[in-house]
Amino acid sequence: MALAVRWLLAAILSALLSLLLARRLARLADAPMETPAGRAARRFRANRGAVLALHLLVALVVVTVLAPALAPHPPAAQPDIVALKSLPPSLAHPFGTDQYSRDVLSRVLYGARVSLAVAVLSVLVAITLGVAYGGVAGLAGGRVDAVLMRLNDALLSVPRVLLLIAVLAALGRIDIEALVLLVGVTGWFGVSRIVRAEVRSVGATEFVTAARALGIGRRRLLVRHVLPNALSPVIVAATLAVGNVIVLEAGLSYLGIGVQPPQASWGNILQEGAAHIQALWWMSLFPGLAIVATVMAVNLVGDGLRDALDPKQVDGR
Amino acid sequence: MTSPLLSVRDLRTTFRTGAGVARAVDGVSFDVGRGETLGIVGESGCGKSVTGLSILRLIQPPGRIETGSRVELDGRDLLALDEESMRKIRGNRVAMIFQEPMTALNPVFTVGEQIAEVVRVHERAGRREAWARAVAMLETVGIPAPAQRASEYPHQLSGGMRQRVMIAMALVLEPALVIADEPTTALDVTIQAQILELLADLQRRLGSSIVMITHDLGVIAETASRVVVMYAGEVVEEATVASLFAEAHHPYTEGLLRAMPRVGQARERLATIPGTVPPPTAWPSGCRFHDRCPYAWERCVAEHPPLYRIGGGHVSRCHLAEEPARRASPHEPWAVARGVGA
Repeated sequence: MALAVRWLLAAILSALLSLLLARRLARLADAPMETPAGRAARRFRANRGAVLALHLLVALVVVTVLAPALAPHPPAAQPDIVALKSLPPSLAHPFGTDQYSRDVLSRVLYGARVSLAVAVLSVLVAITLGVAYGGVAGLAGGRVDAVLMRLNDALLSVPRVLLLIAVLAALGRIDIEALVLLVGVTGWFGVSRIVRAEVRSVGATEFVTAARALGIGRRRLLVRHVLPNALSPVIVAATLAVGNVIVLEAGLSYLGIGVQPPQASWGNILQEGAAHIQALWWMSLFPGLAIVATVMAVNLVGDGLRDALDPKQVDGR
Repeated sequence: MTSPLLSVRDLRTTFRTGAGVARAVDGVSFDVGRGETLGIVGESGCGKSVTGLSILRLIQPPGRIETGSRVELDGRDLLALDEESMRKIRGNRVAMIFQEPMTALNPVFTVGEQIAEVVRVHERAGRREAWARAVAMLETVGIPAPAQRASEYPHQLSGGMRQRVMIAMALVLEPALVIADEPTTALDVTIQAQILELLADLQRRLGSSIVMITHDLGVIAETASRVVVMYAGEVVEEATVASLFAEAHHPYTEGLLRAMPRVGQARERLATIPGTVPPPTAWPSGCRFHDRCPYAWERCVAEHPPLYRIGGGHVSRCHLAEEPARRASPHEPWAVARGVGA
């Protein structure tokens, strides 16, 4: 069967990518010359859970990217709404079908694209805004910093989910791009605090003073000396935020105000299944598992990165 | 006498803090001649590092250099320059060496990149040329296998090596003036001697002037020709090194010298100066040292002493210059009488 071959190829591709990634990490870690990246790679590799989670994420990304080739059916197809509706998992429908006879596996696969894209893109938006805002506040210092950060405190005190619910409810149906923007725009308040604190603390280090004493200009100082040394907590925060936004998107879609059916996302598949959870348990179980597995993997990788990038951590070698 | 390379006049640097205005540097004046090494010595908190940073205008808010201060390099007032002209002077005409070679190098770039960056920023040199200069400079400061070391990161080098890298960064453009802020404090004694020797050697070759900021009179004795003693944000004594070590005039300098261990001396407890430097937000009235001084009398509380000329270029901010007889009868410093331990 062609589909089985495609899955096999996807598995091989994923294994290959995993292998390449592992080799790259190993090469970094075992490089004869000690570099900051090498040290981080070594620490990351020492964390088994994080490495496993990373491989899981690689597989997930492969499956997500290849979803159109791997899904047995189009996600919205209703082949036979009478004969094929509400079937439990079987060989023909590994995740079962829903009450409209749609294949749940196909919907979960396509849903992954939406859920992951929303998560990654909105976090990118949030990080960009947060780095810009926090960077300006941290560099400017003094009154500008004080005003920006108090404003930031005010924004942080707004409950994000409630704000999103209110805005989304007011806007009604919105497309994915708008959702990404909204989630991103409400997601940078924590990031900007981290960036601002990092920029302040790196800015106060002696090597920044030393660089200034050698006549390095402002922009170069920021780009070459401050930001590279302030980046690791931002990377960690971004990774963990991806996990958060997956859950947030699922929650919003569950409430019916996120990704709108018939477009599938993990959240709205779960929601459609929730009404029939006693009879059609598979409709909720599989997207739920996908969410749990993904978020856990993302968080494990985030934790691994945090330990790997922490300059205060001492490692054995 | 030719005009000095650096002339600092009435330098005042203050910091606005929660506890009030800290007058960290309070009216400091001195000159540095061409090719000369001037030592600035004093305890922690006396304002010597802030003086060094002020010369390069590296004071950040809430600190500021008060108007009326003058820092002239070759007759040009650095405090009147715009930020861009000042940036061109830093690292190029005036460079600074910092105390902590551990923290004064950027951990994420190789040492070669960091030295080359200085060349590229100031001389618009190409990547390859700047790198070659960096490697050559590493060799000059006595780093073995410089081509290989250049592509290593700071944490791969020992403390002494890192300090050599700092020196290479500071001297790569052959600045006329080098401000060395405790350049050997963080190093082992044997390495210390090597670094001081290296600095002296480079100075001879390049003809640079050095301002050597330290709390260690031994370093002063080895490197400087003239010395400025600072206490509580002020210059309290200035003299040639020979004159200072032969006969310290100010009681504070006297205390510093007595607190210095000497080879060949019987093993006894080293003398200490009782008390600590007062907080810069509230300098004492009159002479700022009166509380810790074994000669202090009423006049010292009431009247702030000017810099008295002792002769031979030796100046001292102590009323003893006018009433030398009082030196014969020291007493317990008032700080001790009040129960402040040494």
